[in-house]
Amino acid sequence: MMMLQHGSTQLLCLTASSGVPLFTRGASKQLPFSVIGSLNGVHMFGGGQGVELSCCETEGGGRVVWRVFQDSVMLIAVSAGGQGGAGCSSSKVEEVRLQRLLENVWSCMVLVLGQDELTDVRNVERLKRDLRSCFTLIDQLLEERQEGILGHLTHCADSLLPPNPALLQEAVDGFAEAAESEFGCLVVHGRVAAATEKWWRLAPQEVVLLSALMRSLSASGSASCDYPVFLPKGSPTVAHRLLRFQLLPGADVCVLCGPTPSLHRAQSELVGSFWTPLVETLRDCLAIGERCLPGSVSMRPDVLAVLLINREARRSVSFVRTPTNHLPSEPPLPSKARCWELLKLFYIFSTTRYFAQEETLSVSPEERAQRGHHEDFVLGFSHQPLQCYLVTEECKSYGLQTPQHQLFLLTPLSVPTFALRTLATQTLSDIVAATGF
Amino acid sequence: MAQDAPSSGSIVVADWHQCKDSKEYFSKILHKKRRKNFGLLESPVMPPHVAVDTVHYKIFISGKSGVGKTALTARLAGLNIPNLHYETTGIETTVVYWPVKLRENGRVLFFRLQLWDCGENTLRRFDHLLPACKEQVDAVLFLFSFTDRTSFDDLSNQIAKWTGTSVKLVVGTKFDLFMHCDVPERDVRDFQETWNLRVLRVGGEVSDGLGDVAPLLNCLAENLWHQDCVTAGSANRRSQQDTGTLL
Repeated sequence: MMMLQHGSTQLLCLTASSGVPLFTRGASKQLPFSVIGSLNGVHMFGGGQGVELSCCETEGGGRVVWRVFQDSVMLIAVSAGGQGGAGCSSSKVEEVRLQRLLENVWSCMVLVLGQDELTDVRNVERLKRDLRSCFTLIDQLLEERQEGILGHLTHCADSLLPPNPALLQEAVDGFAEAAESEFGCLVVHGRVAAATEKWWRLAPQEVVLLSALMRSLSASGSASCDYPVFLPKGSPTVAHRLLRFQLLPGADVCVLCGPTPSLHRAQSELVGSFWTPLVETLRDCLAIGERCLPGSVSMRPDVLAVLLINREARRSVSFVRTPTNHLPSEPPLPSKARCWELLKLFYIFSTTRYFAQEETLSVSPEERAQRGHHEDFVLGFSHQPLQCYLVTEECKSYGLQTPQHQLFLLTPLSVPTFALRTLATQTLSDIVAATGF
Repeated sequence: MAQDAPSSGSIVVADWHQCKDSKEYFSKILHKKRRKNFGLLESPVMPPHVAVDTVHYKIFISGKSGVGKTALTARLAGLNIPNLHYETTGIETTVVYWPVKLRENGRVLFFRLQLWDCGENTLRRFDHLLPACKEQVDAVLFLFSFTDRTSFDDLSNQIAKWTGTSVKLVVGTKFDLFMHCDVPERDVRDFQETWNLRVLRVGGEVSDGLGDVAPLLNCLAENLWHQDCVTAGSANRRSQQDTGTLL
């Protein structure tokens, strides 16, 4: 079975009532205005007939997904056709990816501008200008530039398991408390390394979005920020303050707080006293790199890539090993970038076909039933599949779920299929035993 | 007040970054020929036998939306300048380390300049931001764009709002876009005379070197150091005589 190649995706945003284009992102070559107009028109026509158009497939294997948010903003995602074999399952995979994308883009817009500005549009020109502030975040979603960040898809926080978690946990808790906040989080290499207990009680989608925001703020190279944020679930109309401090390049701490303390005071009085004693601990944490697991976890050499989700905590760790071919006679291993892509595709494949995906989409239960991602035959199952595997031309993939975890694993073709299950269960127990994840 | 602003090069060695003896200091703020990014817990580290003091300052960047506050900050810090303009959401601060050699005694200091940049619209929308920017601020850079007349005309308003701060510099951005220049040289001269404030100019391609930011950073360092000396009651007599010789 072929899995779809990622095509380029274009995103269109229009006002829902009048179809005025607000912005387009992605794909270097913009769709002509007439096409944008038609895409809006066909959706509107459906609406007039009492039909909601949500997705369609073009002859060339391309996909278009529509969604209207709060009766005010229409988002349309258009993806170019995949190369070859865009069979039934892969187009389903693509649809799920695009639905998630629209969902995330809307949340980004709320996060930055607040729901009121988006639903109560008085001046379209001004809204257009203000929406530019969301572009860095939206582009991050569209390009999926940073390898190893899967939270947009899984709605589980990409995490890094530090070698010395207790020290960092204590520091985050203390720092947040001193900043009069219950919500604090330490982000290393763009992944959550420690966070206060309350941070994990934010909606999973918010945790993922805030991580994305932290990554984009951190990438700008600034030392600290006082950034107004609206929480799409928890507080879409009242802004909170996100105070963020770059402790070391690649390691940022943030707190969500109310009117006090001022950025100036938090930075001059709190940052140094809480974090200076931990510089070495933070450096150790940075040194793990993008492996996300402490050195104490040994990985079997025939594991190409791993995504492990803690279902209850809604956190995930993932990594891809730099491929090294042992023998010239073996078929070449997929590149690192391709492994990340395969891991994502296998995740969507498994969760749409076999495993339950923890439902975090902001839709009502009725709507969910309508737009359910599961294919019909899954719904016909009388039992819940616990393991699945897939052998492609590029690699072998194995997925398993327990009440607590979901594990997705890629191996080279050279690993015998019968050994996959042992390899997967072993990997799961190795990581859990060493880190308590 | 602004009247006793030191003349350029009277307190710190101008173009010191080009001198040989500055190399070991400037190498500490560079990494692979680019400016090094320091986290809040870090600072340039000199070998133990070369003890260098670091002086901390907070600088607010003021100016109408779109004049290039964020771009100037990025330029001064050697960061990537965003290629699309969008309003800065909230406050972003950036730390710039800059070694300076004092003319008087040859002493070297690291200036740690924390630049506070805040989007004008968010500043209006959220009233907690401005007080945070004003808290213990040491200097204000007033920005106008050579391509936007209104930003130049608005300067006096902006300056009037910052009576408590003694170090003020005016920076004209997009100086390279002379085809679209909206602020003639004569007006800039008049402005300098009326306000007795120095006007610096930036614009053009960002070079890899330190040359394009050195004049501004040295000027800022000079004014800040001078102010500290005045406050400490040990003002340098010479600088007062030099009043009036503006850039």
